[in-house]
Amino acid sequence: MNFSVVLNQFWPLLISGLALGFIYVLISLGYTMVYGVLRLINFANSEIFMVGTFATVIVSRYFFHFDQNTDPLHGFRLFYTMGACLIASMLMSGVTAVMVELIAYRRLRAKGTNRLASLISAIGTSIMLQEGVRILTHSTPMSNPRLLRKFGAITIGDVNTPNNVVIRNDILLVIVFAAALFFAVDRFVSKTLLGKAIRAVSMSEETSRLMGINLNRVISATFLIGGFMTGAAAFLYETVYENTKYNVGFSIGLAAFTAAVLGGIGNLRGAFFGGLTLGLLEVFIAAVLGTQWKSVTVFVVLVLVLLFKPNGLFGEAVQQSRV
Amino acid sequence: MNKNSKRVLAVVAASGLVLASVALSSANAATKSVTLVYQGPLTGTDAQTGQDELLGAKTAVAIYNATNPAVTVKLITADDQGEGAVAGTVAPGIAANKAVVGVVGPAYSGASIASFPSYKSTGLTMVSPSATRVTLTDPKSADNGYPFFHRVVGNDALQGPAVVRWSTKGVTSPKVYVIDDQTPYGTGLRDAALDYIKATKVSLVGKDSVAQKTSDYSATVAKIKSAGANVVIYTGYYPDGGQLAKALDDASWKGTFAGGDGVLNDAYIGVAGKAAAEGSKFTAPAVPFEIAASDAQQAAFTKATGLKTAAGHVYVTETFNATNVFLACIKQGKTSRAGIQLCVSTGTFYGLDGKTVLKFTRFGEVVGGAPVGGFQVVNGTIKYFGAV
Repeated sequence: MNFSVVLNQFWPLLISGLALGFIYVLISLGYTMVYGVLRLINFANSEIFMVGTFATVIVSRYFFHFDQNTDPLHGFRLFYTMGACLIASMLMSGVTAVMVELIAYRRLRAKGTNRLASLISAIGTSIMLQEGVRILTHSTPMSNPRLLRKFGAITIGDVNTPNNVVIRNDILLVIVFAAALFFAVDRFVSKTLLGKAIRAVSMSEETSRLMGINLNRVISATFLIGGFMTGAAAFLYETVYENTKYNVGFSIGLAAFTAAVLGGIGNLRGAFFGGLTLGLLEVFIAAVLGTQWKSVTVFVVLVLVLLFKPNGLFGEAVQQSRV
Repeated sequence: MNKNSKRVLAVVAASGLVLASVALSSANAATKSVTLVYQGPLTGTDAQTGQDELLGAKTAVAIYNATNPAVTVKLITADDQGEGAVAGTVAPGIAANKAVVGVVGPAYSGASIASFPSYKSTGLTMVSPSATRVTLTDPKSADNGYPFFHRVVGNDALQGPAVVRWSTKGVTSPKVYVIDDQTPYGTGLRDAALDYIKATKVSLVGKDSVAQKTSDYSATVAKIKSAGANVVIYTGYYPDGGQLAKALDDASWKGTFAGGDGVLNDAYIGVAGKAAAEGSKFTAPAVPFEIAASDAQQAAFTKATGLKTAAGHVYVTETFNATNVFLACIKQGKTSRAGIQLCVSTGTFYGLDGKTVLKFTRFGEVVGGAPVGGFQVVNGTIKYFGAV
């Protein structure tokens, strides 16, 4: 065990954990919103994320013709290029999510098949997407050109001493943008008509139908919003890590799903707390115990939490915000 | 048709069959061909290594076939993606292909271990250009490929010390941090490096083990900074090594990033980015083809591959040498698996320069070992600095 690293690298670890956690938050929204309305896990969400990462890379490399030798952008050019990448990722992930709903869920739902069939068809769609991209890319990873020059945007303390606080601009972007998106979705679900319809469906599908809510439209909208959030996470992931491959969604999707369960799946604010908790846990455990112990410890913590709180950490405390 | 007519017809038909078979066998003798397979990562995250090595195999076969030999050689490929799990599904098909008389490869250690059961049970000889894990030729290890596995490169017992020497060269008071990628290759090279560090009393300030395909290295970076390391040795492959080097650079870490032959690849610069890659050091039991080859061999390389130069492509020389081991045996008339095995394990061969002697020990190592070269990224390209 290496506790000294926590003492003299506390702030960098905390900031990295928060950035990772916020990416988890956005992806876990895709899981938790779908679970809220369908009571089913959208196993294809990891591939919805993967598609979003490729959208950012494809737009920057093939639409704007940037490569690894391109100098980072500045000013308005940086703004509209990154904006285009963000929109492309959100759109691609959103459209893919709706397609997943149409292909893997809707018809089976209309036929009244059991929930297991929907789960299997979602897993099948996930494998189809992943293998399709693997074949198209020959399993080769793709690097995202560095559009944003990285520098310490906020510095507190002397940079030459341990435990100074330096928050890089890309990390700051992740934290601020992801927090804003989460807040926007939370407000959207609790204040707008569509948001209320989503919450109504999550509470009782049958009653919602009797009240005149178009179930299919609400479910599609839920997938679309979840897909948008996952796509935004994919864009932020590319901004920080600048690399993707056909299976990029597997481990990060599993982590986001774990975050959703940890916080209380089906609960928006649970996804928020779960994502941040998991991000911080992963980073600090890797620092103290060694990276090889990260996954083991995270799942031990998850099992322990579920033993004592089967609905997750915040599953019942914030029931009102359930979608 | 009466009896006599039937007899005549039967004789004519039999004669025709005999003539046809004689003609066919003559034709076969004239165009006899055997097949060699190159096995390595041709797709997947490590595809660049396999694609580079394939250039050496293609060149060697093209030079050989251009001499109009009695037995021509067909080169086919087997893509194991450099992963044991994939190799385990690819190797049985190669082993079952009776036309295949030798395997140039496997390129990676983990893939080699997974392939051994298939090749050992069917008597298929392997000559690897780049699998360096020590246990592959260790008779005490369950992972060894005896008697069918051979390699033309030095193993990690040589590379481990070399990567420590090369990475710390010119560094005042080196403080080394070692990270492996949890693969058979990565852990093997790590152990060899750690043994040397311990024996030579180089300051080891920490170590970590990070699984392949990890995206977030922030905890590892924090530990490296916390330990005050000024040399980081990564024993893994370039896709992950590039990510780690980039994370270190983004965290403003100053020091020497180094890796073994798994990281030595032009694609590393693409993954890490030019700024992060600059100054990175690598070792490999390899000599660049463009340095060691004669003009005629360079011309043959260009003709066979369509590339002007082999610069930036790894293990071309070693794959050329590994392929030539088989070609020398085929030239001697060995065209069966048993004949090839006997020839490879007992014969004496020569490297690209025509002087370097390649003879294998009983367990498949090159007699006398092989030199380990030092490489460094200078002005965005990988330069060779000779044996280290």
